Amino acid sequence: MAVDRERAGAGFGEVSRVKGVAFRYVSFGASIVGLVALATLLVYVFIDAFDLANTNPVWLLVYFLTLVVPFIGFCLYSAGDRALTRRTALVLGGGLVATAVAFEAIELLITPIPRLTWQLAYLFVVVAPVVSYVVFVGAQKPVGATGFGLLGRTLGGAVLGTAVAILFIVLDMRLWFLVFTLGVVPAGAARAYGRYRGSGRALGLSIPVGVLGAVAAVFLRDVLRTYPTPPFIFIWTFGAPIALAAGLFVLNRGGTRRSAAAVGGVSLAAAAVGTVTGSSALPEGSAVLVFAAAAAPLAIHLHGVLDAEKGRVGLVLPVILGGGVLLGAALVGAFGIPGPDPWLDPGYLTEAPSRTAVEAGLYPAIVGSVIIIALVAVLSFVLGVGAAVFLEEYTADTGVVGAIARIIQINIANLAAVPSVVYGLLGLGLFANLLGFGFGTAVTAALTLSLLILPITVISAQEAIRAVPDELRQGSYAMGATRWQTTKKVVLPEAMPGILTGTILALGRAIGETAPLIMIGAATTVFSAPSNVWSRFSAMPMQIYAWANFPQAEFRYGVVAAGVVTLLIVLLSMNTTAIIVRNKLERDS
Amino acid sequence: MAPSHPDRLTRRNAIKAIGGAGAIGLAGCTETESGNGNGNGGGNGNGGGSSDGSGDGSSDGSDGSDSGSDQLSGEINIAGSSTVFPLMTAVAEDFSEQNPEVSIDVSSTGSGGGFSNFFCVGETDFNNASRPIQEEEMNLCSENDVEYVELVAATDALTIVINNDNDFATEMTVDELSQIWQSDAAETWDEVRDEWPNEEIDRYGAADTSGTYDYFLENVMGEAGHTDDYQATEQDNTIAQGVAGSEFAIGYFGFAYWFQNQDQITPVAVDNGDGPVEPSLKTASSGEYQPLSRPLFTYPSISSLAEEHIAEFARYFVDQTDNEELVAGDVGYVPATQETKEEQMQTLEDAIEQAQG
Repeated sequence: MAVDRERAGAGFGEVSRVKGVAFRYVSFGASIVGLVALATLLVYVFIDAFDLANTNPVWLLVYFLTLVVPFIGFCLYSAGDRALTRRTALVLGGGLVATAVAFEAIELLITPIPRLTWQLAYLFVVVAPVVSYVVFVGAQKPVGATGFGLLGRTLGGAVLGTAVAILFIVLDMRLWFLVFTLGVVPAGAARAYGRYRGSGRALGLSIPVGVLGAVAAVFLRDVLRTYPTPPFIFIWTFGAPIALAAGLFVLNRGGTRRSAAAVGGVSLAAAAVGTVTGSSALPEGSAVLVFAAAAAPLAIHLHGVLDAEKGRVGLVLPVILGGGVLLGAALVGAFGIPGPDPWLDPGYLTEAPSRTAVEAGLYPAIVGSVIIIALVAVLSFVLGVGAAVFLEEYTADTGVVGAIARIIQINIANLAAVPSVVYGLLGLGLFANLLGFGFGTAVTAALTLSLLILPITVISAQEAIRAVPDELRQGSYAMGATRWQTTKKVVLPEAMPGILTGTILALGRAIGETAPLIMIGAATTVFSAPSNVWSRFSAMPMQIYAWANFPQAEFRYGVVAAGVVTLLIVLLSMNTTAIIVRNKLERDS
Repeated sequence: MAPSHPDRLTRRNAIKAIGGAGAIGLAGCTETESGNGNGNGGGNGNGGGSSDGSGDGSSDGSDGSDSGSDQLSGEINIAGSSTVFPLMTAVAEDFSEQNPEVSIDVSSTGSGGGFSNFFCVGETDFNNASRPIQEEEMNLCSENDVEYVELVAATDALTIVINNDNDFATEMTVDELSQIWQSDAAETWDEVRDEWPNEEIDRYGAADTSGTYDYFLENVMGEAGHTDDYQATEQDNTIAQGVAGSEFAIGYFGFAYWFQNQDQITPVAVDNGDGPVEPSLKTASSGEYQPLSRPLFTYPSISSLAEEHIAEFARYFVDQTDNEELVAGDVGYVPATQETKEEQMQTLEDAIEQAQG
């Protein structure tokens, strides 16, 4: 009322700002309410998964001082910004007091907060955001970029290597050995020769040679009985090619032959170390792949850093982290401070489910999920890009073709909204019953999930292709290129970042789906990893869902939380891959 | 980066070195496979004819394993009751630890769902059930030529639970239970017994695909039918949380859940005419807890028992039914007595003999 009168009195000159301000804060609230709710849930999930509720605060303090504080210091050093350092110290110090006071006040005056202490609240509410912020700022500068690049590449390579290694649980590695030797190597050689000598004929031969070799390998597999041992197969098919690629990469970037040989040699040496190590969770010899995949990007990065003469200090980051862990462990051990007993530990990732919560593991379900996602990735990428290219590049806007294209387009858009249970029914009827791929097999599940995310991949691929400027196409046509050449050489490379991002994000949806898997009869619990793609399997969400219904509270709180964290980590690493791939390709093009 | 010093490592030398190392490695690191390759062999047989039912499962185990070795291998597919699920997974866990080549999968689908969707169309080797197989399911099985044998897995005490703050309804007669759960069910507690409060009854129970639902319906309400006015779920956890969260709620599920969460909710002592009896392992095994102590079953398909690894698993399962530590301690059901176990073993051996001819 007061505002109204004021406005009336002042005439045109004064405008009420109350509505605008109120609207601003309401919309701010709307934008964070979901995030806050989810963050609260995730905090509790993390607390359960890592048993933080029962952790001695002194233990937390020790690792905070030996690990987190030096890490923040590194980031701040990299940022080299005094004001930021001051602000960080203020937030960390003031946050400590503020959280403690606020937490105790709430507990005292309003309601007790279950399974949280003010130390944990401080950790999640203040330290975690501060750390992510300083990491973000620090990584922009050379020192931080060096340090995080080093860790990220090594870790990313190892994760990628592990994912591929898991595939060899169901793939026949001897068949792969033959395909690689007879198909991939000759094709690669033909290609390299063609490039080197500029011979178009050799280049054209590379694909037929590869296909012929692969077919020959399939026939030879039944005849040949003697094969190299698994570690040797992995050295030959992964270790050596990765080392070669790393060397060539350095050479291409302008490195000397010596440094290229050093980078290749380091990768190969790491692969060789892999022949003598291993884990029961991965196929024999596949440690070669993991080591080579981790070492090659590491070596390339090191070469780049040593060359650049800037930010070399960043290389101490692994030392800081490793030293922090060791120092923390020494202090904790010396003073006998008991640490937490996390549910999410190496045993959880490498062992089979069990009726006792302490022994329960997610290994078969993780393997099942990885295999399905790999199949879904291939299927949905091929089908999605194919459909998108057809709809964007090969249809007219008018006439019969245009009408058909529009009908397809509308239907694809609608398919994206069909509930996943319906896709489960489709999978059950079509793939399991009619085509006889079997109930609950990895193949049936992968086909069903591919259909489920196909609309998303098609639409995102279409968007990416549409975003390619028409001038590029016209330019290509003007040079006399055919439509196929234009699509292959101009449109697809330009659109690839967008296509890959869309596909990987859609895969993130597929990996968390449960309803379609229940419909096609995927198993709730399996005790060993699937031996081939036709065997019954379980997936992470299926097993987590089953555990959530177990009578014992340790399952419902501890084991389920560990499963959720595992699933989230897999999802986040897939999304990270999407972002990195997009940035990388965008920078290149 | 200027090439000030000549590179000694030429490409040709590198190729020579790598090739030489490879040749040496290849010579030293070979192995000859026996039988067929791991991995790709077993798959192809499974794809063909699953629509014809019972003949399907056999293709997997037979091609890879050489019959001479005593290592069991193959797949075992199990579906059915969520009540039997914890018991079956516990046994399967131990069996697959002893026989790492046997891969067992267990699905929790509900007794009825398991019979009609998987077992009677020949997709699974075992179906767990928390009640005997029903007429329609028998018909469906015989239509698809699926023969089976009934084995008692354990005894369960179907447990009625109320909120911990509910201090009036801790003892109920079977008739009162029926009034709460029959199709024209009582709306408020005082309709059931006058001295109870005039508060609405909040019901949580098993979904109608569940054997627990069938058993409860048959033995408590009988002809009077099961009410629709309740929260139906396959998840015991949901029932327990519902009952724990509402003072005037009532629910029912298998004994195991209450056994593992005794502080969360309160069990009702059931009066079948001889005074109220609380559900416990003791009262269920002695038969005092009537009419709600019930046998749990598993149904192996006879054609599957023809395969050695499945027959061996069935033997192992029956052998474990009197294992007190596993059945009572880990899972929370009543173990079988020595005689029951021997009877069941005899039934099973007859079936195996019939299957293996």
